[in-house]
Amino acid sequence: MRRRDFLRYSAVGAAGLTLVGFPFSSEAASKSIKLTILHTNDQHSRIDPFPNDGRKYAGMGGMARRASLIEKIRRQEENVLLFDAGDIWQGTPYFNFFNGELEYKLMSDMKYDAATLGNHDFDLGLEGLEKQLPVAGFDFVSANYDFSKTILKDKFKPYKVFEKEGLRIGVFGLGIQLEGLVGKKQFGETIYLDPVAKAREMVAELRENQKCHMVICLSHLGYSYQTDKIDDRKLAQQVSGIDLIIGGHTHTFMDEPEVLRHESGHETLINQVGYAGINLGRLDFEFNKKTKEKTSIKTAALPVDNPVLTS
Amino acid sequence: MKHSFYTYITAILLAASAAGCQQKVWQPAASQEQDNVPVDSTLIADPETEALIAPYRTQVTSKMSEVIGTATTELTKAPHQSPLGNFVADLLLEQTRKIMDQPVDMGQVTNGGLRVPLPAGPITVGHIFELMPFENETVVLTLDGPTTKELFDFAAKTGISPIANATYTVKDGEATDIKIGGQPLDLNRTYTIVTSDYLASGGDNMAMFKKALKTEKVGMMMRDMILKHIKELTAAGKPITASTSERVSGVK
Repeated sequence: MRRRDFLRYSAVGAAGLTLVGFPFSSEAASKSIKLTILHTNDQHSRIDPFPNDGRKYAGMGGMARRASLIEKIRRQEENVLLFDAGDIWQGTPYFNFFNGELEYKLMSDMKYDAATLGNHDFDLGLEGLEKQLPVAGFDFVSANYDFSKTILKDKFKPYKVFEKEGLRIGVFGLGIQLEGLVGKKQFGETIYLDPVAKAREMVAELRENQKCHMVICLSHLGYSYQTDKIDDRKLAQQVSGIDLIIGGHTHTFMDEPEVLRHESGHETLINQVGYAGINLGRLDFEFNKKTKEKTSIKTAALPVDNPVLTS
Repeated sequence: MKHSFYTYITAILLAASAAGCQQKVWQPAASQEQDNVPVDSTLIADPETEALIAPYRTQVTSKMSEVIGTATTELTKAPHQSPLGNFVADLLLEQTRKIMDQPVDMGQVTNGGLRVPLPAGPITVGHIFELMPFENETVVLTLDGPTTKELFDFAAKTGISPIANATYTVKDGEATDIKIGGQPLDLNRTYTIVTSDYLASGGDNMAMFKKALKTEKVGMMMRDMILKHIKELTAAGKPITASTSERVSGVK
């Protein structure tokens, strides 16, 4: 695969950067930290590759292949974080026969750092989730489902903070409205809370209290709807301060992340990689170690070859 | 003097960190690359992961590889009416009528619940699992006339809801000329319809089903019903085919 600097596509993305007065130099570049974010969404129990039977995506995917790909990247990169944006479950007989055990086992083996819950992760009810959670060697983050009246009380964290060479990365999760999508029998007394309000709360917590330099949202809201229904694009425009939304639910194949600019100037990247583990999402960020004057302008998304920086 | 220099630096850093939420020790620098990686046959499966999967796969394969029937052509899905939609809605109705004592007027599924098309050729248990991976129960709902009209309007508007034993015409996003079992829809009577418990609870935005006057479990999972139907076809020497009768008119 050809590596590419996708932000070349974003002329808007560069505009806000002049306000920061970013000192880019070879010295700064040598003192950088590289962070590699890997991600999946809507795996749908696709343990084995799609059969080679001429169907769409025939021969694609496969968790053992993904494991070797991740292993290879881990050997090349110092700082790797691996996330999933929900709907790990449902879609192949592996799920029907083993109730999600193998999916969690393999994800633990690949050292996933965190995942969020998709609607199909409720398919075996709260009891089904409770039963398999001990198998998952990674945390689920969920900020807008209130499980306090259920057997899953205290089983999930709203967010998790990772530290890589001093760089603090805050990761929170958002789930889709369950009513109408998941049987009441399955989600029980789980309460769905407004994702926008929760996201604002998370950004404030992660930036102000947790001193995070980067904020990532694992979202199972879906990429984009024509209706008023909340989606990743609306979230990015309504909530300032999220650097990256790793999306799911809509099974959207994105050629490159979309950059959306909040009216505050903050830019949010959205990426989603289809479904069934056909692709592994990969985003590489570089961070400069230099201490900066504070600014309210967010500068996560900067292309190396952007003319604004060199002029 | 060295000491005071460091004190000074520390003071600056403290001031900076206290100054606000956007304070950064690490400033995001100029490089950001993206490269979503296809997981394809150029990647060699990780042997350790394969070893973890192997015992599970053996069990799944033996259960899944059993051939239960043959499809003469691929059964695909499409908005409003399709071979796959007709096939499943029809068999749901046919099988439910064999089980239930009461008359059942219609069968209904949504396209979203039919996860993959059925390929031409031998059909295995595995194919049916992929078509219908959900652990859905079948239920018979009793709807009043206006609610039944709502169902048809929903089907006309969204195109996601194949209905067995009924025809209608889409006009201005609504259903007109609705016929159930060949008879015009009568708003003054009730109708029974077999669907999944998922849809019955309002799944796929089928909110009108929540107004059902009565909900009865058929007592069979939807997938088991499909499996049973195909096995019966095969036992009778018949292939898997879908009705191609025109059920929805007026779709642009």
